[in-house]
Amino acid sequence: MNVLIVDDSRAMRMIVKKTLRDAGYDDIDIEEAEDGAKGVEKVREFNPDIILSDWNMPNMNGPEFLKAIKDEGYDKPFGFVTTEATSEMRAIADEAGADFLIAKPFTADSFAEVLDKYMG
Amino acid sequence: MPLHGHRKLPPPLPGFENVHRYWNGEYQAVMAKIKPGEYYVTRSDDVLTTVLGSCVAACIRDPERGVGGMNHFMLPLKGAHHGVVDDALRYGNFAMEHLINDIVKYGGRKQNLEIKVFGGANIGGIGQDVGRTNAEFVCHYLASEGYRVAGKDLGGMWARKIIYFPETGRLLLKKLEAGSDVASQDRSMLDTLTSKPLRGDVELFV
Repeated sequence: MNVLIVDDSRAMRMIVKKTLRDAGYDDIDIEEAEDGAKGVEKVREFNPDIILSDWNMPNMNGPEFLKAIKDEGYDKPFGFVTTEATSEMRAIADEAGADFLIAKPFTADSFAEVLDKYMG
Repeated sequence: MPLHGHRKLPPPLPGFENVHRYWNGEYQAVMAKIKPGEYYVTRSDDVLTTVLGSCVAACIRDPERGVGGMNHFMLPLKGAHHGVVDDALRYGNFAMEHLINDIVKYGGRKQNLEIKVFGGANIGGIGQDVGRTNAEFVCHYLASEGYRVAGKDLGGMWARKIIYFPETGRLLLKKLEAGSDVASQDRSMLDTLTSKPLRGDVELFV
């Protein structure tokens, strides 16, 4: 299974990767992108089965990234992993076609709670 | 000249209504006092202050875009939650990202950020490593993210009072004897971190 992590923070990408391992997902290939624009290129190259994306990023933010890849035909699971999670953001995420939202600081348990549905 | 208590303060940016703010006659500006676990961002000439023991504070601004702020945090003890060693790291990243994201949200650009960090003292009664761990975390985080540190005063055996002027970048630092009030502030913060579950929520859109 291919997992794409999109986040402008290198430290946060590392934590998401480690949390995926902590949650028991060992048999996965992980690729990273540091903003939405690079994420679009990675989706074309890597063909991910699931995408975990930050919300606030330079160049192209999370919702813009989701729209761009949906316009190119991406129809597999997509979730936001974000620091801020207001009701307005949740509505935007749902409207944009995201499948889930995980608020930071997350744990391996919160990852498993959501991702088992897609990766279990 | 208006009486201090009667001056109507301009509103803070949305999301910071709970931070304690008052008129400071000495600096002729609104002063925001950042308590442990809080952070604050402003686009005005607000002055920010806090008292640090083993906690650390990052003072960050974009001088070109006129937005800046401060946080005040410490890492939970390793293994305090679920026995997962990364919990402290997760929390520290969360604290830094919250401040930086809000500065960006209010117009700042990451490539412009001027960052100064303070605190991480070894305060008696709370464990020698707590301050050092906090100081090491913040330095490691900034290096890992590629940020340049414009100023720092970390470690030592003393508490610090800092006064930060995000509009100009000026920072005043006073070293204080680490009294029981600072140690008790640190202990209370550590207890809060230990008792609260360290996780955000999750939502499935179905």
